[in-house]
Amino acid sequence: MLLSVDNITVHYSRLPALREVSVFVDEGEIVCIVGPNGAGKSTTLLSISGVLNPTSGDITFDGKRINGMSPEAVARAGISQVPEGRHVFTTLNVEENLRIGTSIRQDRSDIEKDFKKVLEIFPVLAERRKQAAGKLSGGEQQMLVIGRALLTSPRIMTIDEPSLGLAPNLVDRVYETLLELRKDRGLTLLIVEQSSERALKSADRLYVLRSGQMQLEGNVADLQDGEKVRQAYFGFEESTTDDDEVAF
Amino acid sequence: MDYIIQTVISALSFGSFYALGALGIGLLFSVLRLINFAHGDFITIGGFALIVPSSAVVATVLIGGFHPVLLVICVVAIVIIVALLSYFLVFQHVQNSSPATMMIVSFALGYTLQNIILMIYGGRPKAVNIFPELTGQVQISDGVSVQILQLVIIAVTWILLIALVLFLRRTKVGVQMRAAAEDFRMARMLGVNGKSVIALAFILSGLLAGIMALLFVTQTGVLTFRMGTPIMLFFFIATVIGGMGSLVGAVVGGYAVGIVSVVLAAVLPGDIRIFRDALVFLIVIIILLGRPQGLVLTKSAKDRV
Repeated sequence: MLLSVDNITVHYSRLPALREVSVFVDEGEIVCIVGPNGAGKSTTLLSISGVLNPTSGDITFDGKRINGMSPEAVARAGISQVPEGRHVFTTLNVEENLRIGTSIRQDRSDIEKDFKKVLEIFPVLAERRKQAAGKLSGGEQQMLVIGRALLTSPRIMTIDEPSLGLAPNLVDRVYETLLELRKDRGLTLLIVEQSSERALKSADRLYVLRSGQMQLEGNVADLQDGEKVRQAYFGFEESTTDDDEVAF
Repeated sequence: MDYIIQTVISALSFGSFYALGALGIGLLFSVLRLINFAHGDFITIGGFALIVPSSAVVATVLIGGFHPVLLVICVVAIVIIVALLSYFLVFQHVQNSSPATMMIVSFALGYTLQNIILMIYGGRPKAVNIFPELTGQVQISDGVSVQILQLVIIAVTWILLIALVLFLRRTKVGVQMRAAAEDFRMARMLGVNGKSVIALAFILSGLLAGIMALLFVTQTGVLTFRMGTPIMLFFFIATVIGGMGSLVGAVVGGYAVGIVSVVLAAVLPGDIRIFRDALVFLIVIIILLGRPQGLVLTKSAKDRV
């Protein structure tokens, strides 16, 4: 098990945003966490990255306990997050953005190799190398932040809603790239998604999170009819989605 | 004509001084959202570092008597150490609090520093004469002469500005600092060490304050324990006018405030001249009514998590 989130509870001030949530990811897997707005998906990723501190429970990465570590220490340990809303450094140019990803690395010759590779994977970034990142389109910015996260040379990449604000064909493109990265470099991925269809299409395993609690987990192969996922996503007895706005 | 040239040089030199001050505040604000009201007191400490610590009426020079190069290095180093200590002993412990809390803490630190100086050196103003050759006049054309120090202030400012720009654009840590200034959390999630970036900002801010201490004391020739307070007010105003969080804005704001004060002093009739500062503040209010976000817009004006 590469990453294991074990029974964590996270509070925003005094309200619990996550209640005893567990997630694990094996090396080389693509795991999706799906759920409605406010389910606690981003909270889970931010806890893994050390931005939020769980009030109870443990997070272990490669056998080491990482909760309580600073975000930069988590990044150094080998977990790279692409947070919701992309967060490019708009005033830095494309190349500078990518170079920030290499801050933690000392292996100079490998950095240059990886840098070239990222530009090969995303040729549009090579074209716009000297342009301010704020001037890129949404899709290009998404490529930039994925490339930047790759340059930290992570063992696992966590991505929060890679499809947010992108046109459907661009979303396909992003997922294609992610699947290729898994195939070519053995990258392990933990992806937060709102769309369960997308998750069923691309992931190996899937978790459904709602109201800060884990509703369902399973292999995507076993969940293909989608009915179980839908029920977990929207809640059982309810026909409406009243229950969705929660936790915060 | 002479008068105009002299006024222009004087405006540029005042503007440069305020720009350096605003930059020192802007650097910390950009990475930490801290408005450091103790910045003026860093300058005061740089000034007092020149003399022997004692409450004697007549000051005895200590560092102030060193070889000029050594003098500059010592004063700047002392102020940098004070700035770093204030981070590690004070601000580090409140850096996750709201900007308002941090600002109040900086007031507290400023008062503490002032009172430490008061305890050691006493409250009486002390005369100190460093770089006397700079306070002389130089003739720049027929009949037009300006104070050498004014030209030095302008030159030093531009050397520092260019060095800072090169540092922020060309060096790895400089780029990391710009990234952290725009999105601190994201930079940390990519492995940029938040603590060292902030410490670096304090070092740069201390460096600027140390150099300003030398320029200021050369100009005034007097040390008082509260001398940092009034100039700090102008630096703060310059930062606000320029647009909080933008370093370019800080420089623009510094020049705006400096130039307006000098021009007002030059054109106002004698009776009204004593109200110059009030008029400067009035202009500030008018600018902010029209452009509450400041003269230069920033992307990172939003708060950090």
